[in-house]
Amino acid sequence: MRRGAIVRIAGIGIVIAILVSLVAVLIQWLPTSASKQMDRIEFVYWFATVICIGIFALVMSVLIYSVWTFRSPPEDESDGPSIHGHTGLEIVWTVVPAILVIAIGVLSAVVLSQNGSAGTNPMTIKVFAQQFSWRFEYPDSDGLKSGQLVLPVDRNITFELESADVIHSFWIPEMGQKQDLVPGIDTSIVITPTRTGTFSLVCTELCGLGHSTMRSTVEVVSQSDFDAWVAAQKSGGGKEDSGAAVFSSAGCSSCHAFKPAGSTGAIGPSLDDVAAAAKKAGMDPAAYVKESIVDPNKVIASGFAPDVMPGNFGETLSPEEIDALVTYLTGAKQ
Amino acid sequence: MSVVEHTSHGPAHGAGAPHRRNIFMRPGFVRGIWCFALFFVIGYYLVFGIRTLAGWDPHQDWNIIVLVGGLTLGPIGFLLGIGAFDYWLYWVSGRPTIPDDHANHGATKWQDYFKVNTDHKVIGVQYLATTFVFFTLGGLMAMLFRAELAQPGMQFMDTQTYNGLVSMHAALMIFVFIIPAFAGLANFAVPLMLGAPDMAFPRLNALSFWFLPIAGTMFLCSFLAPGGAFATGWTSYAPLASEQPIGQIFFNMGVQWAGASSILTALNFLVTIITMRAPGMTFWRMPLLVWANFTTSLLVVIATPFIAGSQFFVMFDRVMHTSFFVPEGGGYVLGYQHIFWFYSHPAVYIMILPGFGIISEIISVMSRKPIFGYRLMAMSLLGILVLGFSVWAHHMFVAGMADWLRVPMMISTLLIAVPTGVKVFSWLATLWEGRIHLNTPMLFALGFISMFLIGGLSGVYLASVPITIHASDTYFIVAHIHYVLFGGSVLTIFAGIYYWFPKMTGRMYNESLGKLHFWLTFVSFNLTFFPMHWVGLVGMPRRVADYSDRFADLNLIVSISSFALGASVVVFFYNIIVSWARGPIAESNPWRAMTLEWQVTSPPPIFNFDEIPQVVGGPYEYGVPGARHAILAGTPTPAEAAV
Repeated sequence: MRRGAIVRIAGIGIVIAILVSLVAVLIQWLPTSASKQMDRIEFVYWFATVICIGIFALVMSVLIYSVWTFRSPPEDESDGPSIHGHTGLEIVWTVVPAILVIAIGVLSAVVLSQNGSAGTNPMTIKVFAQQFSWRFEYPDSDGLKSGQLVLPVDRNITFELESADVIHSFWIPEMGQKQDLVPGIDTSIVITPTRTGTFSLVCTELCGLGHSTMRSTVEVVSQSDFDAWVAAQKSGGGKEDSGAAVFSSAGCSSCHAFKPAGSTGAIGPSLDDVAAAAKKAGMDPAAYVKESIVDPNKVIASGFAPDVMPGNFGETLSPEEIDALVTYLTGAKQ
Repeated sequence: MSVVEHTSHGPAHGAGAPHRRNIFMRPGFVRGIWCFALFFVIGYYLVFGIRTLAGWDPHQDWNIIVLVGGLTLGPIGFLLGIGAFDYWLYWVSGRPTIPDDHANHGATKWQDYFKVNTDHKVIGVQYLATTFVFFTLGGLMAMLFRAELAQPGMQFMDTQTYNGLVSMHAALMIFVFIIPAFAGLANFAVPLMLGAPDMAFPRLNALSFWFLPIAGTMFLCSFLAPGGAFATGWTSYAPLASEQPIGQIFFNMGVQWAGASSILTALNFLVTIITMRAPGMTFWRMPLLVWANFTTSLLVVIATPFIAGSQFFVMFDRVMHTSFFVPEGGGYVLGYQHIFWFYSHPAVYIMILPGFGIISEIISVMSRKPIFGYRLMAMSLLGILVLGFSVWAHHMFVAGMADWLRVPMMISTLLIAVPTGVKVFSWLATLWEGRIHLNTPMLFALGFISMFLIGGLSGVYLASVPITIHASDTYFIVAHIHYVLFGGSVLTIFAGIYYWFPKMTGRMYNESLGKLHFWLTFVSFNLTFFPMHWVGLVGMPRRVADYSDRFADLNLIVSISSFALGASVVVFFYNIIVSWARGPIAESNPWRAMTLEWQVTSPPPIFNFDEIPQVVGGPYEYGVPGARHAILAGTPTPAEAAV
């Protein structure tokens, strides 16, 4: 009888384990890895998965077998055997899970330490976040500033992260690593991209009205393409329409609709007719737009609230960038 | 003890009200409303007066007026108006009071449930009814934002509304549904299980309950505030929370009222459990539900002051221009998260340990077997209590805190799986060779074990720092907490309500509808929340109003399933309401349980026991020939009571 029970439970357990394993294997649960750190995370993930499938199959097989075998009709008023406990069993199911979770813990600690190490051939990129945009600086390339994140493949990149306003979080899903950007604290993270391509950078910490629009693209390119990109940026590449570039890199498009930029943000007022708004405020369009960028609370468009737009664009953008932006928004020829 | 004499005081004639006062002056909602208005006006002039005298501009600062008049003094006025302080004020002012005044004890008609009542059984029902109102509203809000998320892009609402609905959903579900719903079930069951006539402090018990509708209403009123409802998630992280429109302070203060309610109730439980056990009821003879509420209450009194502090500090940064969490003023942004999670991690145990207690009762009774490893079950609760205070920073693995903290916090987090596993294995061993009765409470209990297992295992992934670095702040987290809080806590609340429904109401619910409710909930729950694991791991962050097109298909499935999940609750409400009104009269002990609450009539007498029971054995001695948990003099044997 007892042997029969064990065989049946084992049978149910194996069926459950196979089904759950199929779910684990057939669905691609993690994005295709694009960094060394993600490879290691995947290893921990599979290690934990094997243990979890075992525990799940064990618990569910005993549960299903018990309910199936020991269920009683409502009119049955008898009681079960008065088993109060079993010290041996209780020790086993305290000690064995403890060993398993400690194993996961040790492996995780090792991987955590590897993932935090910048290793050889490192490179530093500074990341600045503010509602609701990302900006980057390459200190190893003479402090090159960029609104777009371009990474060379197979380099150990240390991202130094700073936030100007509230907490944001830096995450490229295919690369696994994630780190909050905290005002007043410098944080950092190491990523070693392993394949070229275009990825997305997303903010994962609720940062205000435009949180879901705080995304940016990441280009991972070969070292030579990266060097070429740096050279092109330094020689003034992209300058000819820099108003549009600033509009996108400063994150204006997250909140404002503006037809020339193709943006449809609705958190702030539309910028398609700034001339009319300037007229209403009794100002010259260029002066009005400039004031609205540098001191956004001065005039609040009807239907919108104060303190939504960051008030620090006067500091984060250079005077040239602001002028370019004003020119772009007022539609004046450069 | 003079328990028997108490019963001679009817609920209708009490001291302190020698003649019937007019409707404006007698305790009740009318007096509550005008007292609220009066206290609000006092608050208004207090702020206006001080600001004018001090010359602070603007004299009429609505941030402060709302805080002082609307969210602090007004509610105190309301409590005064409904009569929550009457007895104490009579006593303080030297007017005659009768210590054994039972004027507001017990319910004979439905209106009595809308008054300040000192009967723990009435308060238990008041808690459950109130919390289910908030549960319904929170659930409807979830369906609203799931409608928005059914497709990428923005369809029905702006992001302010979306963030507000998400934050409100969580705040209602956590602070004014799950935590107090357990307090309600325990309020009803614990004194009965202990063989006590009531809680240790019945008037305090009534006051703690009335804090709760205030807290929930305060959360909801933030929708009316200019700028909209609080929209920073239930975690309300600084510094975002200190820069938000005024709706944010409705959250800060609502948490204070809900927290005060929790703390006072927990103190009441602790004193009740320690001092009011019937003769012979040693700690090792207490039902596991009592053990669970004992540990939960310890968690509440130690941890809840921390969230109160965190919400005060973040609000002071806003209204008093302090800089607890403002880096420009020397504040430490992560300080908020440390203080917040020092409560809010233990809070997840506050939201699950009472459920463990409910499940232990049901599994043992419905399997007709003693609970397996009773002492280890109680010890594992205490183990979770102790370990629960050493894991808070696992919510901060990507927050930028001191690096060295990560590995120790990971190990303690993983170790919490051990006492939790002990409980699951012991429930399985209790089922083994039992006589399992698959009725509605048991279905919910078994559903709980399997769903909580999944939530626990995804918790093992999240304990591992490298995996959490990838998964944190994604939909994987949303999936995990819903497996733990819905698959865990909410299923145990349903189980507990079905289990004690005959005792609370004296009537039986409809078994077929109960089972239908279970299966609808079980299936739609899994369809709603299981796909979230995947969308999270492949890249969808949580708390976003809009998302990448590649997640569209699964989000549509999730949204449709969430409407089905909402609809399943309608079956529950129909069953409960109709059964309460017209259900068959329940026996005093329909489950043939041994614990004390089932040894009295359904519903129990006004002071629970005609004579104090003598406890002579453990609470789960099923299958032990001749074993008894307690002897009640003059009480019929179970067979006679069934008639």
